[in-house]
Amino acid sequence: MNVPREHVANHLMPWNDNANPGPWGSPSGGDDKRDQPRRPSGGGPRRPGGPDFNANFDRLGERFRDFMGGPGGRPRRGLIPIVIGGAFGLWALSGFYIVQPSEQAIVLTFGAYSRSETPGLRYHLPAPIEHVEKVAVTELKRTDVGGAGGDAESTAASQMLTGDEQIIDIDFSVTWRVADAAKYIFATRQPEDAVKDVAESAMREVVGKTQLQPIISTARGQVQQQTAELMQKTLDSWGAGISIVEVQIRSAGPPAEVVAAFREVNNAQQDADSAENEANTYRNRVINEAKGDAARITQAAQAYREQAVREATGEAARFNQIYTEYRRAPGVTRDRLYIETMQRILQNSNKVVIDAKGATAPIILPPDVFRPKGQPAPPVVAEPPQPQAKGAGQ
Amino acid sequence: MSTRSLVYGLFGLFLIALVFQTFYVVDQRQQAIVVQFGDPVRVVNPPGRNEAGLNLKVPFIEQVIKLDRRNIALEADQEEIITAGQERLVVDAFIRYRISDPLQFYRTLRDENTASDRIERLVNSSLRQVLGGATSTDIISGRRAQLMQQAKLDVARRATASRLGIQVIDLRIKRADLPAQNREAVFRRMSTSRQQVAAQLRAEGEQKKREIIAQADKEVAITLATARETSGQITGEGDAQRTRIFANSFGKDASFAAFFRSMQAYEASLANGDTTLVLSPDSAFFKYFERGPSGR
Repeated sequence: MNVPREHVANHLMPWNDNANPGPWGSPSGGDDKRDQPRRPSGGGPRRPGGPDFNANFDRLGERFRDFMGGPGGRPRRGLIPIVIGGAFGLWALSGFYIVQPSEQAIVLTFGAYSRSETPGLRYHLPAPIEHVEKVAVTELKRTDVGGAGGDAESTAASQMLTGDEQIIDIDFSVTWRVADAAKYIFATRQPEDAVKDVAESAMREVVGKTQLQPIISTARGQVQQQTAELMQKTLDSWGAGISIVEVQIRSAGPPAEVVAAFREVNNAQQDADSAENEANTYRNRVINEAKGDAARITQAAQAYREQAVREATGEAARFNQIYTEYRRAPGVTRDRLYIETMQRILQNSNKVVIDAKGATAPIILPPDVFRPKGQPAPPVVAEPPQPQAKGAGQ
Repeated sequence: MSTRSLVYGLFGLFLIALVFQTFYVVDQRQQAIVVQFGDPVRVVNPPGRNEAGLNLKVPFIEQVIKLDRRNIALEADQEEIITAGQERLVVDAFIRYRISDPLQFYRTLRDENTASDRIERLVNSSLRQVLGGATSTDIISGRRAQLMQQAKLDVARRATASRLGIQVIDLRIKRADLPAQNREAVFRRMSTSRQQVAAQLRAEGEQKKREIIAQADKEVAITLATARETSGQITGEGDAQRTRIFANSFGKDASFAAFFRSMQAYEASLANGDTTLVLSPDSAFFKYFERGPSGR
């Protein structure tokens, strides 16, 4: 039993080799030579240099006759069913295919939708009967509107009118995925263009209902949300099988032509804030200074009060004591006080004693007399009043 | 052998041709019109019927023309529209349609290229008519959705009337923008409006600054005045106490007090040596100087 199997193995080899035209192709020297090295050794007999195909075929034919148990007939006839069977088998095998986890497969039978297949190893009837179209259903696709270009087209796509009839520059991206592979393939021609068209249209519709300032500042999320909803609604009404994941505004701002004016507003706000800050600085400074001054004034007054009272008390005490003594000898004390005082005054002063009784002409005094003692040439300048004079001049 | 082979060969070719002439495939995305000598006889797989797949026809006599069955996009040319308010708007719209009646479509339009021209003209004219009756505010914001719906219905009505065999799925205004020369004006308006806001902000800042300064000055004045008020009260208290103390003390002997106080005052005001006194010998101080020891 070992021998026939070996034979079959041997002689089937050439037709499993794709480069070989096949066993029924007319054997030529060239083919043979190419075939020679691949042929496993140890099989049938080999005729060096010459084609051994015919011999092999003969032997194969014999094998087939044995195999089928039929008698006679030409040996080559028996080969055909095997060839056809093999080809049919290969054709049938070509129907296997793999659907990746991210994909969904749509099987079409003669172009007509037959079924959808989930990821895994799948089979369809081979080529002319059925074919498969795979759609990446989990993959997120992104469509950009406006933006990076800077050319006329992208500017036209990104500039739009707001509800208060101002022009805004919006660049945005739409993230979407295929929700229903069959609808995606069959319902819409150029579905990716459809997404872009709908995105532009929806964004304009939403922006047209919104004012410029909110879009720039606070209402951005709202615009994104509304645009996504409107897009979804439109695409659903077409049965496009597309699901909008997200609309993302990449940049929203005034167009380049008016950016300077918008910056100017920011600058003005800064200026206003800094003016307020300056004023607050001034306010803090002067108010605290004033509080300090007020404290000084109050303290000075308190100091004055204390001083006045204490000095007065002191004076009064002095007077009281002198007065007690005075009452014992009023006349003497009075005279003594008078004379002592005069002495102290006249001791230090310039004095001129004139007996004017009987004088007829006015008496002219030399100016030196009026010069204070010890001062050669007094400047005729009034001395400024002492600030403490009031308190001290008792 | 060779003649027989030839006959077999020819017969085989004929069989193959027959197969190809008899069977045809209509894709899920297509619909087909079967035409007999240029005359459409029937429709295969139109919207609403599911006949995609392998189909049969009379070989060599009937021909098949395939049309798209999907939702087809058609972008209308940008068009300048004058609105009800005499403003100009550049409108960019697209339409989504489907060949719903392939027979009509084939008879009226033949193919998609012709259809594109025809439908585009239809869309533009509808847009002009519908948007021409609306103000720019309506188009841009207020009634955009309604106007698009109106234009869609108008296109659909006219398409039906012209027997185009199409179904209008959607008509949407993509862009409705101002033409270039008007945009300049808008930019100017935006700039001036922003400048106005900027000036307003600056003025408000200045106002606030002055208000704060004025308030601060007021507070300073009040603080100082209050301090002076307190000061006056305290000073007055001091003076009052002083007066009371002196009165209590000097009141014991007014005459001596006056004398004593005068002596102090003379000394304080005259004793520092900067005074020149012109005295008469007959003053009290010189009583003995003038009159001798008796004093008389």
